[in-house]
Amino acid sequence: MKRRKFLSLGAVAAAASVLPASLSATDYVATAPKAWEAPTSKEAIEALFGSAAMIDGQIEIKAPKLAENGGAVPIGIKSKLELTTIALFQDANPRSAVVVFEMPENGIADLQTKIKMRKTANVTVVAKGKDGKLYSAVQKVEVSIGGCGG
Amino acid sequence: MKIKAKLQKDATEVKLLLTSPMVGKEESALKKVEIEYITHVTAKVNGKVVWEASTGPFLSKDPYFMFNFKGAKAGDEIVIDTIDNKGKTETDKAVIK
Repeated sequence: MKRRKFLSLGAVAAAASVLPASLSATDYVATAPKAWEAPTSKEAIEALFGSAAMIDGQIEIKAPKLAENGGAVPIGIKSKLELTTIALFQDANPRSAVVVFEMPENGIADLQTKIKMRKTANVTVVAKGKDGKLYSAVQKVEVSIGGCGG
Repeated sequence: MKIKAKLQKDATEVKLLLTSPMVGKEESALKKVEIEYITHVTAKVNGKVVWEASTGPFLSKDPYFMFNFKGAKAGDEIVIDTIDNKGKTETDKAVIK
């Protein structure tokens, strides 16, 4: 009985240790949990990237000025820079971090996704370039019908 | 999961539609449903990671992504892996056209 229990424990531990490694290089949800709990963009950005200086004007955020459906606000991120990490934040929901993209080598900074926004707020993109520098961009999006939670 | 991958000149454009309610803490309390959202998405071509996303519950329901990368050929296979907050995984693949 004891032996069986021991064996099954081993199998569970092995499965748990193998799974995350095979799925991802950096899982920011697991490695930086603080960033995902932060209520404001400023705090979330500091938790993920620190408080180093950021360069403006190199990243373009494509978002509607007025979003009719806050449940799915299309956000496009575009840049000519070679970016390895691109993170998206907003101040419309209880917590700020939305998604962190990573493109290890051959990525092109041309992304699109859809996010929830329950009110009018700023959307912030912070990205890390191959040169190690941080870049950022902010755009205000007006939401006519909120989308978070109903 | 729906994947479309298309070669345009030297870059591959991928459109990805996942299936998840993306319910976070607040929505869960309000609608009395369980917390359920995808936490990580990985895209691989020929065993190499080309794109990754760590995701939270403020992506829209059934999250949509478009991304681009270089270095793949037509006929290569792109493999998408996802995992949610409960540890449930999904895998799907598509051929780059």
